[in-house]
Amino acid sequence: MGNRIKLDLSASDPPPGQKTVENLEIALPVSETVTLPRVQPRWWEHVSFGKIILFCFSLYLFILAISFMKIGARGIIPLINNFFSVHNGANALGFGWLFAYVIMSGSPVAASALTFFDAGAVNQLEAFSMISGSRLGASFIVLFLGFIYVLKGRNRVTNLSMGLLSLTVTASTYFPGLLLGFVLLNKGWLNSLHLQSGTLLQSAIDVAIEPLVRSAVDLLPNWVIFLSGLSLILISFTLFDKCLPQMTLKESQVGWMSRLVYRPGIMFVLGALVTLISMSVSLSLSLLVPLSSRGFIRRENVIPYIMGANITTFIDTLLAAVLLNNPMAFTIVFVEMVSITIMSLLILMVFYQRYQRAMLDFVGWVTACDRNLIIFMIIIFSLPISLMLF
Amino acid sequence: MKVLIVIDANEPNEDILRFSSQFLSRAADTPTILVVLDHKGEYLPSIVDEIQTLSRKLLDCHDLITRVRIGYLAEEIIKETKGGKYQLVIIGEKQTHHLSHLPNSSEAVYVAENAACPVIIVKGNVRPIRRILLCDSGAGRSVILSRFTTQLAEMLEGEEDITVLHVMSQISAGPGVRGNLLRASAEELIDQFTSEGEILGNDTQVLEQPGIHPIPKVRHGFVVDEILAEAKSGDYDLAVIGAYRSEGWQRFLLDDLARKVLIRIDRPVLVVR
Repeated sequence: MGNRIKLDLSASDPPPGQKTVENLEIALPVSETVTLPRVQPRWWEHVSFGKIILFCFSLYLFILAISFMKIGARGIIPLINNFFSVHNGANALGFGWLFAYVIMSGSPVAASALTFFDAGAVNQLEAFSMISGSRLGASFIVLFLGFIYVLKGRNRVTNLSMGLLSLTVTASTYFPGLLLGFVLLNKGWLNSLHLQSGTLLQSAIDVAIEPLVRSAVDLLPNWVIFLSGLSLILISFTLFDKCLPQMTLKESQVGWMSRLVYRPGIMFVLGALVTLISMSVSLSLSLLVPLSSRGFIRRENVIPYIMGANITTFIDTLLAAVLLNNPMAFTIVFVEMVSITIMSLLILMVFYQRYQRAMLDFVGWVTACDRNLIIFMIIIFSLPISLMLF
Repeated sequence: MKVLIVIDANEPNEDILRFSSQFLSRAADTPTILVVLDHKGEYLPSIVDEIQTLSRKLLDCHDLITRVRIGYLAEEIIKETKGGKYQLVIIGEKQTHHLSHLPNSSEAVYVAENAACPVIIVKGNVRPIRRILLCDSGAGRSVILSRFTTQLAEMLEGEEDITVLHVMSQISAGPGVRGNLLRASAEELIDQFTSEGEILGNDTQVLEQPGIHPIPKVRHGFVVDEILAEAKSGDYDLAVIGAYRSEGWQRFLLDDLARKVLIRIDRPVLVVR
């Protein structure tokens, strides 16, 4: 059956004495509605070619950025070792954490850690710690956004809960995950698992990237090349965010999702899948707002979602490791993912109810009064600084 | 109302019978006593005689139908409810080895989940029912939940306070969300015509009868924790929950909160379907 399309006759006001739309309806002997055959849009009409081009460009910038950072990292070895004094795992953890605070993003810091490892500025365990630190720093972003709203006079509990929860869940899985990761790296149990860039990808890089890198090496000092790479990677992530489909779903379409309590395992998988596509935990969490009626989500659903998101957020770092063509860089990221997965599953399967209550009680305590919030803020800023001084 | 009272031949049943007696004075139909004997054990008529005598005494009812089944307790109760057109089953809680392979399972929970009619699990301290906690999530047929509670209250002798509880477990999904409702009371939710307010308002309207005093209430927190906390702090004599058995993909995706409440609650609980 075709669609009934009503003709729009109200484009302009009629001259005086002429029939209006309302009385035309009565005057016309036939109905003013006509039936047109339904036109099914072709599949390519759903595809936004502009976004595909933007995606390809952001990917190109990402590869270019990694290549720049790989070359440029050699120039900042003295800076890492002497100025920032990154000499052990604790220093590296604090450095990655603070670095992510400064640039308000975790992924570029994680990619930097790999390039530092590739250049020999940090060892395997330090690179691993720095990547963990980058995620801790990155989870501050949602909290920071909440602070802006609180400063504007909005409610503290409503605006800070998600950011605090994200940071708390990340910290409580990453710290034990860090210890597990150290064991896995020291024992070398996962060292045999490698994924390197294929010949085709390498040839493409040689043609499209290498000339630019060579020109940069000829013209610029290494530390400038590194900073250029860091800037390019930030731009590439910004462009990639623009490639994602805009979330314009209405409450009537998916609002019911937020009214149901899902099994923790289901939310864990959902968080992992959404973040695998969006490549950012903060973006993945922000998607929950339009996906739920009134911007609310069930307490029971949040924590496993964050846990799942915290694992697949490493997918871009894994890609960076492949592009570096350094087998051990891949192992570092893979161990990170494995250790966080093991810790998350352990919590979900063994003591999830108690963990869930503890996390939300802690968030409740922090948001209960200004004093608690100030204590928390002092801790999350002083802890990475203390780690760097360790 | 046709009531089935389940008696375990190997357990003391005084509490179940005392509790059941509250419903029988105004029930038109003759109550049925179901005695389930272990299929491995020997059928002893003297045991059934003893149960009949005790039942007549504690239920204060001489007209009883007694049915004896041999087999696994839960399975035999389900078979009986399928054929008997009962409107209410009353059963005591007992942990058994038969379902021990399932964590936190009991025969009573199995019956409550699988019976075709409402089930009361008698557990904890048994007292005259004066205070009832009706937990309404708003999912499925919430009107049936409140309507059945009204029927039940009408069967009891006295004035009952019924607290209609809705738990809001939502938190803000991110910064920038206006979350006034996340801290609102029942009255505020009803005044603002929110979905939660509508649930509470509808239930209160259905329950509004002579002798029944409905009180809408909202708690904020985890659903199961808040129901258990309210049941304890309000010292209710009976909790009422709905059992909406999810089907297909929903069963795979959704958490079974009713089951968690059934297992952890420390007082008699009625499961309405």
